[in-house]
Amino acid sequence: MAHRIDSLGAPLLVTWQLTRDCDLACLHCCTDSAPGKRLRDELDAGEALRVAGEIAAAGVPYVMLAGGEPLVSPHFWAVAESLGAAGVTLKIETNGQKVDTAVAERLARLPIRSVQVSLDGDTEAVYARQRPGGTLERAHAACRALVAAGLPLEITFAPTRFNIHEAGAVIERSRSLGAFRFNTGRLMRIGTAARHWSKVEPDEAAYAAFRSLLAGESSHGDMELLYEPFTLQEAMRSSLGEPPATLLVLPNGWVKVSAALPHICADLRQRNFAQAWDDYRRAWYDATMASAIRSALEDEGRHAQANSWQMMSVTA
Amino acid sequence: MSEKVTMEKPKSAEPTTRKPLPSDKPQWETPKMEDVSEEVMAQPYIRFT
Repeated sequence: MAHRIDSLGAPLLVTWQLTRDCDLACLHCCTDSAPGKRLRDELDAGEALRVAGEIAAAGVPYVMLAGGEPLVSPHFWAVAESLGAAGVTLKIETNGQKVDTAVAERLARLPIRSVQVSLDGDTEAVYARQRPGGTLERAHAACRALVAAGLPLEITFAPTRFNIHEAGAVIERSRSLGAFRFNTGRLMRIGTAARHWSKVEPDEAAYAAFRSLLAGESSHGDMELLYEPFTLQEAMRSSLGEPPATLLVLPNGWVKVSAALPHICADLRQRNFAQAWDDYRRAWYDATMASAIRSALEDEGRHAQANSWQMMSVTA
Repeated sequence: MSEKVTMEKPKSAEPTTRKPLPSDKPQWETPKMEDVSEEVMAQPYIRFT
């Protein structure tokens, strides 16, 4: 069966985790990021700029720079400005702790469609419990600086047992800060979240109230609420029929086939970006992938292995 | 995916006419920003890393 990815010369979106390092140690982190968690084999500036050049040359329209915290990467600006100068539209995912007026104004000179800030609480106590090392005050200040610089602001909220009761207040806060979109969904059982699962996972009653809140909030106001597919399972199921036309690049240049699975289809140190896209498309025809997804659909606990990366053999 | 093309050694003299082989390189569609739909951005891993 032909897929959409078979006709595309490049992915629609590249999500690029520039580093695993982060200035916060969030309990729900899906990338196992925290201070000092930089991988030993992360791409250096020269390699990252080479990959950025290949992404632009391949015609990728949209790149999301993420982490860890992308702003702690020593080559964040070089990569962002290289992609921007080549006409690639950008999205930046940040915790906002390092975004002040100067950073916001520098970002505003780039072709940015969205800056996504995590607001996992509406009180300092709840925010600090879920995001050790950060302050809600700095996250709010970042949002205000981004909007003042004319940048489109997007908010993301990861529900846990600690913060789900503040979801309504965070939605209202996001509106007042001028966000155009609010993203959420069921907590993903990956990375740090998987290790702390029994402590962080909201119970089903809390999720039911949360979904009811989201449904009610969706019907009014200008801010868009994006929360479907609600679960990672739903998204994985649909990817079996139509693999996403997106590529996830890890800090060491490895390319993932599916975020919730450990499979790696290419190494950007060995393969150029165009070859990696070809490897990705080929991976979706490999019986290993269908089997791994079906297995993960049967047991959500298997997502916990997502960051134990394994190289597949898909090279032509 | 491109079809696998297998080449067989001719058993007799080279024929004077050949069946055209499929193009080595398919015509790829260039991705555009307009194609980056809400659905694309709604993948859980993308919307709340």
